[in-house]
Amino acid sequence: MELPPHLDEKFRELMGRYPVKRSALVPMMLYAQDHFGFLGDEILEEIATRLDLNKIEVEETLAYYSMLRRKPAGRYHIQVCTNISCMLRGGHELYAHVQKRLGIGHKEVSPSGTFSLEEVECIGACTGAPSLQVNYDFYENLDPDKVDALLEQLEQGKKPQPVPVTSGSLHERLPAETLVISKRFGIRDSRRMDVYLAHEGYQALEKALKQMTPDQIIEEVKKSNLRGRGGAGFPAGMKWSFVPKETNKPKYILANADESEPGTCKDRPLMEMDPHQLIEGIVIAGRAVSANQGYIYIRGEYRYLIDIMDQAIAEAYGRGYLGKDILSSGFDFELSTHTGAGAYECGEESALMESLEGKRGYPRIKPPFPAVVGLYHCPTVINNAETLSTVPAVIRMGGEAYANLGTPRNGGTRLYSISGHVNRPGIYELPLGFPLRRLIEEVAGGIRGGKKLKAVIPGGSSCPLLSAEEIDLPMDFDSLAKAGSMLGSGGTVIMDEDTCMVDVARRIMHFYAHESCGWCIPCREGTSWLRKMLDRFHEGEGRAEDIPLIDELAKNMLGRTFCPLGDAAALPTISIVQKWRNEFEDHLRGKCSYQAADALAAAP
Amino acid sequence: MADQKQITFTLDGRPVRTSPGTLVIEAAKSQGIEVPSFCYYPGLALQAACRMCLVEVEKMPKLQTACTLVATEGMVVRTMTDQVRKARKDMIEFLLSNHPLDCPVCDKGGECELQDMTFRYGLDKTRFAEEKLHHPEEKWSPLVYYDAPRCILCFRCVRVCDEGMDTKALGVGSRGVHSVILPNKPGELACEECGMCIDICPVGALTSGTYRYHTRPWEMTYVADPCTHCSNGCKTTLSVRNNEILRANNRDHSGVNGEFLCAKGRFGFDFATHPERIRAPLVRRNGKLAPASWEEALEEVARRLKQVRDAHRAETIGVIGSNHTTNEENYLLNRFARITLGTNNLDHHRTADYVGLAAALGPRMKDSLATMADVYQAPAVLLVANEVSNQNPLVAWQIRAGVRHHGLRLYAINGRPSKIHRQAKIAVEVSRGSEARAVRWLAAEQGRWEAKTTESLAALKAALGAEHDVVVLFGAEIQGSAIRDLVSWAGRLGGKTKFMALGDYANSRGAADMGILPDRLPGYAPLSDAAERARFGKLWGGEIPAAAGLTLRGMLDAATQGKLKALYVVGANPLKGFPGPSADRIAGLDLLVVEEMFLTETAQRADVVLPAACSYEKEGSLTNTAGEVQLTHRATDPQGPRSDFDLLRILSHQLSLLGMGAPIRLRTPAAALDEIRQNVSGYDVLPATLLGGGAELAAPAPRPVESYEPPEGAVFSSNDYLFTSGTLGRYCSRLTSTNEARERPWSSSPSTQSWWHR
Ligand SMILES: Cc1cc2nc3c(=O)[nH]c(=O)nc-3n(C[C@H](O)[C@H](O)[C@H](O)COP(=O)(O)O)c2cc1C
Ligand code: SF4
Ligand code: SF4
Ligand code: SF4
Ligand code: FES
Repeated sequence: MELPPHLDEKFRELMGRYPVKRSALVPMMLYAQDHFGFLGDEILEEIATRLDLNKIEVEETLAYYSMLRRKPAGRYHIQVCTNISCMLRGGHELYAHVQKRLGIGHKEVSPSGTFSLEEVECIGACTGAPSLQVNYDFYENLDPDKVDALLEQLEQGKKPQPVPVTSGSLHERLPAETLVISKRFGIRDSRRMDVYLAHEGYQALEKALKQMTPDQIIEEVKKSNLRGRGGAGFPAGMKWSFVPKETNKPKYILANADESEPGTCKDRPLMEMDPHQLIEGIVIAGRAVSANQGYIYIRGEYRYLIDIMDQAIAEAYGRGYLGKDILSSGFDFELSTHTGAGAYECGEESALMESLEGKRGYPRIKPPFPAVVGLYHCPTVINNAETLSTVPAVIRMGGEAYANLGTPRNGGTRLYSISGHVNRPGIYELPLGFPLRRLIEEVAGGIRGGKKLKAVIPGGSSCPLLSAEEIDLPMDFDSLAKAGSMLGSGGTVIMDEDTCMVDVARRIMHFYAHESCGWCIPCREGTSWLRKMLDRFHEGEGRAEDIPLIDELAKNMLGRTFCPLGDAAALPTISIVQKWRNEFEDHLRGKCSYQAADALAAAP
Repeated sequence: MADQKQITFTLDGRPVRTSPGTLVIEAAKSQGIEVPSFCYYPGLALQAACRMCLVEVEKMPKLQTACTLVATEGMVVRTMTDQVRKARKDMIEFLLSNHPLDCPVCDKGGECELQDMTFRYGLDKTRFAEEKLHHPEEKWSPLVYYDAPRCILCFRCVRVCDEGMDTKALGVGSRGVHSVILPNKPGELACEECGMCIDICPVGALTSGTYRYHTRPWEMTYVADPCTHCSNGCKTTLSVRNNEILRANNRDHSGVNGEFLCAKGRFGFDFATHPERIRAPLVRRNGKLAPASWEEALEEVARRLKQVRDAHRAETIGVIGSNHTTNEENYLLNRFARITLGTNNLDHHRTADYVGLAAALGPRMKDSLATMADVYQAPAVLLVANEVSNQNPLVAWQIRAGVRHHGLRLYAINGRPSKIHRQAKIAVEVSRGSEARAVRWLAAEQGRWEAKTTESLAALKAALGAEHDVVVLFGAEIQGSAIRDLVSWAGRLGGKTKFMALGDYANSRGAADMGILPDRLPGYAPLSDAAERARFGKLWGGEIPAAAGLTLRGMLDAATQGKLKALYVVGANPLKGFPGPSADRIAGLDLLVVEEMFLTETAQRADVVLPAACSYEKEGSLTNTAGEVQLTHRATDPQGPRSDFDLLRILSHQLSLLGMGAPIRLRTPAAALDEIRQNVSGYDVLPATLLGGGAELAAPAPRPVESYEPPEGAVFSSNDYLFTSGTLGRYCSRLTSTNEARERPWSSSPSTQSWWHR
């Protein structure tokens, strides 16, 4: 098949990025789809031929990723987020509005082919909720009028300016904040190399390469008490120290920028406004474990960030911060981005590696752990993008100084993306151990409209919810664990007294059922069963025996699934039925006090 | 292997000693403790997906999957606690939530693992009150159907197709609860149609087009027979109802093939009920074949054979044997030809030079033959010629399994591209027909090649020089002196080298072992050896003529020239397989008798056609190409036709009455096997093993022969592929019903190789 030159060139460039050709499969499909609007037989054949794959390998990989499609979409593909943060601020109403306005439903295309519509899971615009994407462009803080204006312009062939930067990342810095990794946010052209260099950029790398041994770097990171920002909070230094020193296999550094945990959008501004900080952190990590190749796995929806990161990487190569003999230290490091294509599960570290190898994003059996057997079955360090973005600061200021910003065993600061019913949703950098109550009241400006607080998701929708009575605790990994929840990914979602908790449980389960990879029985079947049951329940068709059954089914999944996604689905559900059981009981009496009256009346 | 250190761990309170690296699920099995599982399948990649095998392990907070958990010293595992029982119940409940409970109409009902597990571990009520997912059933090929709602997504089919078959025709579509198994073309399967996926499916999601909705498993009887097609001797379980084979599959995995079957073994049984099957004897009257009674037909044969012998000489009679009939029948035929008819004009279509191998190995043959298990276990295999992926599917499977499981190293020299080369460490592709020259080069570095080929041959030779206990496989391209070259060179490699000649059909090896040859008696005893002649003569009650007879080709040539007057053909179709210079090869014959199942090209020309039973309709033994002897059993009644054993026996009596030789006294195949066991070199096999359904290696130890060369053109392969099986294959309608069967020649051409890859 004859390809347009730019696509042909892109294909070649992508294939050159990996030691194993197949790794280019998902990116090639996504870029091809961008050009053709969908993936037809011919182009798939072409890709299969180029990658030496058989047809079924291409077809089954494609089928896994929700962004990839075999049928054309509209010229403007409208993707409305209705996940928890958006839902709390009118996402469903927005979606219904667009449906009505365009006269098409989920995954349908308008007769003229101009529009297509999709209700999507969290797109990482939680602090700008409600939000949507038109193709790859973000539009945030929407309401029906704004959407009408947007669609009108699109109809006229005009493209309105998308949000310039992640909503909520630029705001007056509060005294409560401690700026370490977000301190360049808001500086003009902060993503450019010169600006970065002017603001302490690449000093840590100099130090790491010229004054420290790899072991000293690891030691420093250990001292910093830097714990993983991806969700599990594993100490980064310790993880690095598991990488075998004596091996003749290549080693890899992976930056996990798949950011898909509902309520979480903090890797996005980090890459958008400070891409070099991430690059610097990755190269230091590479030095620490003697890896010479890195990849930044960025979720497919964040295309503009891939472009930004690619530019920054090119700049870094140009200035000798990447490539051969970095800063004349004799250390080589190669780095490129890798695009996902719509799959939350690909944020799970081993599924991410499968995905990067061009396969369906199924998680792998552990042990062995990635530090020993990771990407391409070689030793691999995988860290969240924020974790790696923090590394330059740790090296610059010293591990101990960094650790001291936080609390014991919980070093430093982290970014919170605070969304939901608060007055000032946004992205804030706070020291670990910051009190949750102050986070809500002081930092986020309290509950919108003077309402009362009902529930908090502390760090992404996988965490058990806290009730209003449970918020007097410091935000650190250990305190939240003690309170039966998790600090998670820093995606803090606040719900006011008018929130229907059955609806929250329902929407959360929709997400996990949609994202379950289908590998293991309890998650695959459990999420689907619970989703259907919660739908029915919320529509007023619940039975008394459903309430304990919801609780039991979630517990039957818990701890028995292949990967933590099953737990992530079970934990919030269990916490909701247990803490807000009365709301479930209210629904039995046909009463959802928090829904518009007509919505209930419409239910069968 | 040196005595490895064992570890001890505690399983349900008892200490268990096992070798390091053992999976808990396997250790439990060895203790008779069942840990339920769906996705675990020995020999395939681990999944830990179904979560059925969760067990409790001391000091581990969560339940662990026994299918991935390696037992370690001091580990304490419990498989029968309340927690474990509850987990199993819960998994079954999840699994059944979207599963259609249509067991009463499901093909798998009665032999379904999910049904069994539910019975043993499941809940007795359903709490699922939601709507189940729907998905229409899909016909992927005439042989394979997929019913998505029944699929429990254990991924066994995907793995066996990818890892076991190296075909990768199946994948997984969609995601989450909507996941389904996908064939490699939209809604359609383009593959080897081996049906391994059907066999391995624990539920009724993948069903066989030949069997679905025909019957229920408990209404059938089961007979395990060696497959009647290629020379590999897979055991296939025939499922029979009302005297009809409804299904062939692999139920007990106890054969030399383990769990393997190819499309022929699984689907190629319907020839038995083909409408063109000859059910009554046919005798030519007024130029046309007309039905006749058995008495008429047998009388006609006896009378006319006698006529020919009286009018001419015994040497004007020729006998052609079969690659498909049993050892006992071949043994009887040998005796029938040499004693009753008094001729050494006896041969069959030789598809591998077993004689050459016997000649080269001599008495060393006893311990130098590789079994099918040896191929799998070998640290290294050298394969010379033969397209094993098509011609010897089990051998190819064994090689692949060896590569996957213990890093078997395959070295190949071939004149044809082959799928198996994907497994090879070194594959030297030479021009077709020059494989023997390549062997010559290995043995003596004689012969000129392109520099590149010499280089690869040298690399292969050097690599093999470092190997031990190599198994050497070779096809029909390697004969006579080439085998001698191969044996003398490979025999000097490290350790114990073993050999296997690769022939074409179910009893190709047995036909040679039983001496269906003009110059060899059973067990490769040379006809020229007076003592051997006397020994068998005495046994058979007559005198064996001393002069070597004509080869098959020689007989046909003699028939063309009018020098051969009568030809007796048993289960062979020489007029199709042996095209000769003249359009009519048998113009000069006075009499042609054919024992056959169908009106083949040869049978159509016969004066008398005697309808014969197939191997699924009779008792006897078959020897696969490795030399492994297995019993075949009567699964169905032939309904008209008779076994070649009976035909030969009865005819010998009739001819005896006419003064031709002593009658055959052996009444049953079992009695014949007894005689074979006592008199044929290498066939002193243990009857108990055979009766138990096992295989015994027959390794004759003939006297060495200085230089043996088979007659020009006597040994050649039909080069059958996965969907052909000589003449018999044409009557296997299911086999020929697939798209792949129509796309011949398939894998041997590079173009079809490529779609195979894609
Ligand atoms: C279902 C699932 C999704 C995940 N998604 C992400 C993600 O989007 N980003 C991320 O950094 N980590 C994610 N993780 C956590 C990663 O598996 C891994 O722990 C993390 O990348 C390690 O980096 P850290 O130690 O720096 O946090 C996810 C885990 C699970 C189980
Ligand atoms: S818990 Fe199981 S089904 Fe769910 S995402 Fe993980 S592996 Fe897939
Ligand atoms: S079709 Fe059968 S073998 Fe394949 S995944 Fe489904 S249940 Fe398992
Ligand atoms: S490999 Fe040969 S013996 Fe085995 S099933 Fe296939 S045709 Fe029959
Ligand atoms: S058998 Fe262990 S998880 Fe399936």
